[in-house]
Amino acid sequence: MTNRKLNDFGIGPVIGYVLLTAGFIGLSVFLFYKTAFAEYIYITVALAFVSNLSEIKRNDFLKACFSDKKFKLLRISENLVVTIPFVCFLFFKQLLLSPVILIGISVLLGLTSFKTTLHFTVPTPFFKRPFEFSVGFRNTFYLFIISYLLTFFALFYDNFNLGVFALLLVIVIPFSYYVRPENDYFVWIFNSSSKQFLFHKIKTGLFFSSMLSLPIALVLGSSYPANVEVIFLSISLGYFFLITMILAKYASYPYEIGLPEVIIIVASVFFPPLLLAIIPYFFIKSTKRLTRILG
Amino acid sequence: MIEVIGLSKKYGAKQVLKNIKIKFEEGIVCGIVGENGAGKTTLFRCIAGLEDYEGKIFSEINPLKNHLGFLQTEPYFFSKITGNEYLRLLCNARNKELKDIESKNIFDLPLNQYASTYSTGMKKKLALTAVLLQENNFFILDEPFNGVDIHSNIIITEIIHKLRELKKTVIISSHIFSTLSDNCDEIHLLKEGEFINKVTKGEFAKLESEMKEITIGDKIERLEIK
Repeated sequence: MTNRKLNDFGIGPVIGYVLLTAGFIGLSVFLFYKTAFAEYIYITVALAFVSNLSEIKRNDFLKACFSDKKFKLLRISENLVVTIPFVCFLFFKQLLLSPVILIGISVLLGLTSFKTTLHFTVPTPFFKRPFEFSVGFRNTFYLFIISYLLTFFALFYDNFNLGVFALLLVIVIPFSYYVRPENDYFVWIFNSSSKQFLFHKIKTGLFFSSMLSLPIALVLGSSYPANVEVIFLSISLGYFFLITMILAKYASYPYEIGLPEVIIIVASVFFPPLLLAIIPYFFIKSTKRLTRILG
Repeated sequence: MIEVIGLSKKYGAKQVLKNIKIKFEEGIVCGIVGENGAGKTTLFRCIAGLEDYEGKIFSEINPLKNHLGFLQTEPYFFSKITGNEYLRLLCNARNKELKDIESKNIFDLPLNQYASTYSTGMKKKLALTAVLLQENNFFILDEPFNGVDIHSNIIITEIIHKLRELKKTVIISSHIFSTLSDNCDEIHLLKEGEFINKVTKGEFAKLESEMKEITIGDKIERLEIK
């Protein structure tokens, strides 16, 4: 499956694996260099990847194909394969407890179908303009609960950095809502030009992202008035990256975000002023891509 | 009115539509019939502008796509979007305000549930409701009766009659001949990417018996069912 995805990206699997390994190491080093919470973020990211493999329909299919014993073995093995790079890096950083916990949870998740289909509808505040945020929020609502709890703890223990981490988490989660391209019907239905369509998407994204992040920003700003510029900078950067993600999605449309776009986005993480050039570039590319459908 | 002139479509080396020429008049319900793979869905996607093609498509109101309600054979739904939100999304896309949704929910759909949990027929009814709420001038209904219960079948038939009365341009495809003969003013037979026959209301029975003869032939005998 990964080989096919790499081929879809337009690169050979061998080169792809080398690039992925280099990218993984680079991002890991960067994360541990940048924040004191890297260990927790690292475990969260690893578990997010692992939990993707616990999707119920996927597991139903595997259960139908394999005996119970082989199924469990396969699930544990694939979870460990996903976890190994993270575990190795944590050991490399001379952290002992977190990799052991990570392995333990991965094995446990291999024995269960974690993501069950919910029979109730998760309410969202985005019903006026449904789509990316309604669907995305329902998939990630528990992360927002964690973020708001972290904000509470940040204030309670007077830890500004923890508060900023919670704020960044709330800002970053919606980026994932724009990773996959939607069915072309949901672009086609709009009676707008490609430029109007993109502005509409950006406006909606920024408005809904603000609804989620501003409560934390306001609470932090009022509790730590001396650090308002840090909060302002985080929010502003978040807005720029959100716009970039929206445009990157449509710059590759109807295909998934391509490797060149991923490389450009990663480069802008290391050097954010690049966004000033990337956003107009993606905008022009997106406009061209969408013109075929929207006219 | 929608006029298609010299429409051709290829997927790689495979020619799916061959120099199609057809006119869909307003106030006329036009049926398209053909075997699986005859090119019906591709023709609809070309008219909608979802596919590139060779040839010309004209309509009295432009751009056609902004006034076209396209009910797809298998409507796609996001995993966690409710019926209510789906209707709102489609209306928002056309700048139409969604008012009094409960009274417009004529198929009694559970609009607060995720649409992906609906049955095939319920999904079809939701998608049909959405394209109707968009207040379109043109309609392409690709197998609107597929998977729909008998009661809703009656309602859909009445909806189509109402659209005709309102002078809308309606194109329907169906694999059930009776649904076309009950609803259409004319039926076009599509075979291997070409229209090979066109019949009006009085000739539907003749077309049906011709189709039976061509389609069935001696196939049932060959199966030697015992």
